[in-house]
Amino acid sequence: MLAADFEVGRRDFTVGIGIQVEPGELVAILGPSGAGKTTFLEAVAGLVPLTAGEIRLDARRLSSAANPRADVPVGRRGVGLLRQNPGLFPHLTVLENICYPPRATAAVAIKTAARMGLETMLQTRPKGLSGGEAQRVALCRTLQTEVRLLCLDEPFSSLDRPLSLELLELVRQELQGRGTAALLVTHQLQEAQAFANRVAVLHRGSLLQVGDPRELVLRPRTALVASLVGYRGWLRRGEQLMAIHPDRVRPTGAGSGTGVISGRVVGMRPDGARIDVEVEADGEWLGRFHWLAGEPPSMGTGLHFRAADPPVFGGPEAVLD
Amino acid sequence: MTVPPAPAALRGSGVRASTGAALVGALIVWVALLGPLIALLAHLSPAAVLSSLRQPGAFQPLLTSVAASLVALAVILLLGTPLAYLLARGRLPFPRLWEVGVILPLLTPPLVIGLLLIFMVGPNTPIGAALSHLNLTASDTFFALVIAEIYESVPYYVLGAAAAFATVEPQMEEAAALLGDRRWRTWRRVTVPLAAPGLATALAVTWARAMGAFGAVLIIAYHPFGLPMQIWVTLQETGLKSALPFALVLLVVALPLPVGAYLWSAHARRRL
Repeated sequence: MLAADFEVGRRDFTVGIGIQVEPGELVAILGPSGAGKTTFLEAVAGLVPLTAGEIRLDARRLSSAANPRADVPVGRRGVGLLRQNPGLFPHLTVLENICYPPRATAAVAIKTAARMGLETMLQTRPKGLSGGEAQRVALCRTLQTEVRLLCLDEPFSSLDRPLSLELLELVRQELQGRGTAALLVTHQLQEAQAFANRVAVLHRGSLLQVGDPRELVLRPRTALVASLVGYRGWLRRGEQLMAIHPDRVRPTGAGSGTGVISGRVVGMRPDGARIDVEVEADGEWLGRFHWLAGEPPSMGTGLHFRAADPPVFGGPEAVLD
Repeated sequence: MTVPPAPAALRGSGVRASTGAALVGALIVWVALLGPLIALLAHLSPAAVLSSLRQPGAFQPLLTSVAASLVALAVILLLGTPLAYLLARGRLPFPRLWEVGVILPLLTPPLVIGLLLIFMVGPNTPIGAALSHLNLTASDTFFALVIAEIYESVPYYVLGAAAAFATVEPQMEEAAALLGDRRWRTWRRVTVPLAAPGLATALAVTWARAMGAFGAVLIIAYHPFGLPMQIWVTLQETGLKSALPFALVLLVVALPLPVGAYLWSAHARRRL
């Protein structure tokens, strides 16, 4: 089990994280660029020293701010790290790369490589690999170490969406087969939800909320979390701020009634098969919503819709940035 | 390396003319650089080379030069490699100061290096006295020849090796560390192989400089004769004709390694 409760000072802000990851659990850290996601993983992997607190994995203390000299060195912590750049050694073949870790054996390496569909390219050099293949090699190589926690620093984000989801699924199956825990860092909710049992939202170095992947979207604790998990509409009623998710609105017939929101279409743009509609209410910009069915409305049309169970925030929770 | 064709918009007659001019310029430089070598070969008959090399003791300077250069190269490799690596990784405090130290022998005229060495390791200095306790003398000995060659050639190696190490992304070493590899093994299995093409070039240039070291050698290691000294003395005593065969020998011994290393490293770079 990973038990992390620490701080790492950065130039712009301090990354302060408290989280536990159970054995075999898959946790995603969701956050925008520059939220401190990479710093978090680097601290776990032992690449940056802590300025406060400690990190433990099972019975071992990996890092502590109190006694950094006793930190377990990088590569001997049972922590693997995959980055966006796969970091393959260009002068070694795929097989030599996979067998690089000191205790790796060719027999095991070849078996893992076969599971990842790499058996035909074992003798090629990394230069000849596609981005997805290179990442699979890097994953395979990391799995040849005794890794109990795998840190994934957006390893597939430079690949196209379907491929990156496919590779995440491959990683997930491989990890679940071994009972290895993982921390996936990503800025895409879809990836986080597809991969993890639990999602944590990170913003400016702080974990805002940790929860079930679906619960997090349905019950964001603050308006900031809501905006980070995809809410795009905001309706201010006095002190209170209602968050509206573009996928969770239903058009209703004209009229009033409790919960009915009325507005006017001020913009439209296609988004895949659906139309994104921009709505204004009472002269105030309300947000973007997905027009899911039927003919899209025309510009300026009055629109009435009902948001499904929208979260409402008051006081400090209603602050958006 | 293949150069991609210029975009259509650039392929005008003006461009063709300037490419032609550049080619002519390049040809002039090439001929000027190789000219002396060609002239040397033109002035030498195989019979003359053989006869001057058949004189008693003619091979001694060659052996002296090769031996001294090998020792110098070993010392430079051993002491210069860690320094080059630390310079490349920026792990030294006051890096500019270290760089100046490395470049200084390059900027100092070799003759002056020789004079300064007398003040440092000559018989009447503390270091010279300490050396004499070890039965070593740093003037007019093989040992002195090695020292002079090191001073004349070490910057070529350290600067070249530092540039070679700088081409190895730190991320490569980080990746190896994350896989549980020890520093030394990483250095051996990742850093050095990746820097090898540049290291080979640096080593080859250093070898050529050490073999040809003359200025500092003239001052502190007149004896025993290495090839450059032999050339100089023969030139003084019997003239150009008898000095040329030694010049050819020096070229033949000093050049293949650098040229070979250069060709190998060009090949190795393409492979990475």
